[in-house]
Amino acid sequence: MSNPNMKLLYVVLALAILISVLAPFLASSDPDGLESAAEKVIGEERFAELEETEAAIDSPMPDYAIEGKGKLGEIIAICLGTIGILAISFGLGKIIKS
Amino acid sequence: MHIPDSFMPLSQALIYWAIALPFIFMSLRWARRDMDDMKIPILAALSAGIFAIQALNIPIGMGTSGHMVGAALVAIIFGSPFAGVLVLTLVLLVQGIVFADGGITVMGANILNMGVISGSIGYYGFVALRKRNIDIKVAAFIGAWLGLFISSIATAIEMSLAGTFPLVPGIVAMGTFHFVIGIIGEGLITAIAIGAIAKARPDLVDDKAVESSKEATL
Repeated sequence: MSNPNMKLLYVVLALAILISVLAPFLASSDPDGLESAAEKVIGEERFAELEETEAAIDSPMPDYAIEGKGKLGEIIAICLGTIGILAISFGLGKIIKS
Repeated sequence: MHIPDSFMPLSQALIYWAIALPFIFMSLRWARRDMDDMKIPILAALSAGIFAIQALNIPIGMGTSGHMVGAALVAIIFGSPFAGVLVLTLVLLVQGIVFADGGITVMGANILNMGVISGSIGYYGFVALRKRNIDIKVAAFIGAWLGLFISSIATAIEMSLAGTFPLVPGIVAMGTFHFVIGIIGEGLITAIAIGAIAKARPDLVDDKAVESSKEATL
């Protein structure tokens, strides 16, 4: 491969996969800034109501998890996302330039 | 700060799509003009890296967590805020559709907040500081922090317009949490990444805007 940036791609991909594998164990399960703000300013009850409202579409792996597959499912879900987005952006770049 | 669909009425969500679409279009135009076979691997690497790091919520105390957004990092490396818009649009599309992280109808608002606002403020903040000869890592830290902080305030205002949050308490809560998330999740990681890339591949950190202004003053 003559493109020196391919080496950068492999290094960053290795890092991204490492993060994807560790994230299910390391990531905080505390609510994020927006959810936490919502809990605080609109009350837990109303927030829970909004949280339970169905999303506009059904996602195949909601909350970065595969139903019934536990931590392994989470690892697989995040890894699939990482590799998927890599393929999409690589493909988009190629299509735009062709 | 991925807004879920239930936080915003459809009529307003569509308005943010209308605002975000021209930026998405311009980001595609940027890619057509600036992308080449050399740069495509960098775009792909950053997209994958940012998706992964967004899955890593860091605890910030106060029973709250947060993660990096990354638009500022992408914009700094490519020397254009449109690069940040493009990567965040792709990441938010995958997150929303596949992982139910961030809504579908409100995706325009999420692209506006995280892709356009945090990336543009992060990038132009970085460039302004570099022009004043501020160290590259310090400039990246402050730019990225400011971008995240301002985009959280914008989100709070949108939540107030949507009738979901009261305005002032919303701004105070969002501002407080993202002040801290911006330091740890955004500023620090952006500074470390820019520092590492500037050392390993100085050709990649696009300081063109800064360099040309320096030459002009010589």
